[in-house]
Amino acid sequence: MNRLLILIGKIIVKILHLFKRNAGNLPGIILWHLTRGKCCKMFKVSCPIIAVTGTNGKTSVTNCIAQLFQQSGKKIIINKEGNNLDTGICSLLLRYCDSSGMVNADYLILETDESHVPVVYSQLKLETLVVLDFFRDQLDRNGEMETLIQKINNFCKTFEGNLILNGDDPNTARLGKANPGNKNVKYFHAEPYAFATKTAYEASEGHFCPFCGESLVYDYYQYSHIGKFHCPKCDFGKYEPYITASGIDLEKPVFTADGRTYSPKLNSIYNVYNMTAVAAAAKLYRIKPEITDKIISKYTVKNGRMENFMLGDRKTTLNLAKNPVGANMTLRVMNEMNGEKELLFVLNDNVADGLDVSWIWDINFSIFERVTRVVTSGTRAYDIAVRIKCSGYDPEKIAVKPDLDEAVAELASTPGRKFVIANYTAVQPTRSALKRYISKHGGKQNEND
Amino acid sequence: MKTIKILHMYADMLDLYGDSGNMEIIKYRCQKRGIDCQVTAYTVGDKAPDFSSYDLIYIGGGADLEQQHISEDLIKYKNDIKKAYSSGVFLFLICGGYQLMGKYYRDADGNDIPGLGLFDYFTIAPSSRRLRCIGNIVVRTKFTGRTVDVVGFENHGGQTQGVKTPFGEVLCGNGNCSKSKAEGYFEKNVIATYLHGPCLAKNPEISDYMIAYCLSRNSDEKVKLKKLDDSLENECRKVMINRLIKNKK
Repeated sequence: MNRLLILIGKIIVKILHLFKRNAGNLPGIILWHLTRGKCCKMFKVSCPIIAVTGTNGKTSVTNCIAQLFQQSGKKIIINKEGNNLDTGICSLLLRYCDSSGMVNADYLILETDESHVPVVYSQLKLETLVVLDFFRDQLDRNGEMETLIQKINNFCKTFEGNLILNGDDPNTARLGKANPGNKNVKYFHAEPYAFATKTAYEASEGHFCPFCGESLVYDYYQYSHIGKFHCPKCDFGKYEPYITASGIDLEKPVFTADGRTYSPKLNSIYNVYNMTAVAAAAKLYRIKPEITDKIISKYTVKNGRMENFMLGDRKTTLNLAKNPVGANMTLRVMNEMNGEKELLFVLNDNVADGLDVSWIWDINFSIFERVTRVVTSGTRAYDIAVRIKCSGYDPEKIAVKPDLDEAVAELASTPGRKFVIANYTAVQPTRSALKRYISKHGGKQNEND
Repeated sequence: MKTIKILHMYADMLDLYGDSGNMEIIKYRCQKRGIDCQVTAYTVGDKAPDFSSYDLIYIGGGADLEQQHISEDLIKYKNDIKKAYSSGVFLFLICGGYQLMGKYYRDADGNDIPGLGLFDYFTIAPSSRRLRCIGNIVVRTKFTGRTVDVVGFENHGGQTQGVKTPFGEVLCGNGNCSKSKAEGYFEKNVIATYLHGPCLAKNPEISDYMIAYCLSRNSDEKVKLKKLDDSLENECRKVMINRLIKNKK
């Protein structure tokens, strides 16, 4: 039966390739139906599996961990295109397995959607799970965040493998107590950076101790609900970090972890956390320090993540923001920059974005400094315009252009520095619109600092 | 200058789906008219507020875990809130806040969380956490005396039953129960609804109804509010209603 299913799957992949179609998810969906939802069960994986999950940073951390092994000369399999549901992982394994379903590699490194961790790893044996953070993101698709955390928590109750957790996020740190018998729980942690605050800066979750209900106490917040917390009543939050990022200086940028100083390319506190997770995995798998250093120092992101364009002679930075945390981060970067600037905000409400756009009200627009004009676009262009208006911004300076090409033209019609924020399904169309503008009016894409 | 005093309960916990935005909007609309609007936050552990000294009490919605925590705290003020409501203080209640003012909330495991019992309705969560009413919603209301179609986003498991005076009629979406006709609960000084979005973002009439109520309640004349430029809000709502009603047909 297994062989037949694998054969069917492989034929579908072949056909899709023949028609030059992406076989990232469809073969898995078909097998999902044929196997009644157990589409990952037919594979035999001989090597360790490392999974990375969380709301923000999955793709970055998965890629970096994969490179750790690759640079160490190991054969790895990774779901690069972010097909991170059970069907996507099934499609990936179909490409690499032999006719009996045997997958041969040294390591499988799999970015895994938060809600699919229990689904996939009840079928495939997991060696290490890295959990980065849990934020409000696409809540309407996943149901309430608490339900999501409980699903993963249930999985962790019987999981005995390595659990690498963000010790500064109460939502992820609590997973470390799910299985008291698991001796392989490892927390990563970061000391405060220059913009850490004593009180919460943005609307956030995780106010209460999930074990005793007491209000959590924070020594400092780095951003959102991420920071050094503890419960004053029980022992939640009191752990010995496996690895700590210290000496964080985002101006340079530089940070130290486990005795080594790293100089990453990206200057955000996000990236420090992500790279600390990578360093934790490197430590666990005894990766040579030079290799870890190289990967952390070189890592940079494209595809709408702090990507630079020149619209004519106007410098423009595009950033993806799937949730308030991401958007607030971009606004901070924008504000900390001198001089006048303009913002284009592209907001879509397609299924992959989450149909609910109320998260934009958790963005702190009142901090706007020297923002001379705002253009809004996307399927919910008016929603974001109303939101920015009600933060006290002069509505006369807001231009609503639901059509992206019109929005980009409007943005580029004045001189000066530009910022673009786009949510998930808006990012690629926005990039395309920026490129179209450049091809017509001149400029440059992917110009790096 | 006229002053409106608002008590925003559990602002730090019940702020899911942009519900805190409602306060930002009311403040904004007051400020544009030169009305002084003071919002006081109350949360668990604070000293007991003097409920009757406020014009409006606002409670938003939250995640299940947070809602459980606050219900224990809220119940302490049962009589005070009842007294404030009877004396004409306005209650603006979203989602969890709406549910907690009813008789009880029966959670997915069958446990009853007692409500304040201000109103006769009660809420039952389906035993499967997967069954939720989620999506954009359009509700036809008459609270201003005229027909106003309001738009928001609902996301609730609880099915609220026994509502005698709903806030409006569902044109698209679920409402109080899965695929139901009625949405929310309404009295002249109560608007209780499942609408997030936040609720007031695209529906300036609701904000203005409450602002006008608060200004008029202790005076003999009915206050008429200065008109604001709501073209962005109206366009925003129009785009959504056109899309939703067209999709339905």
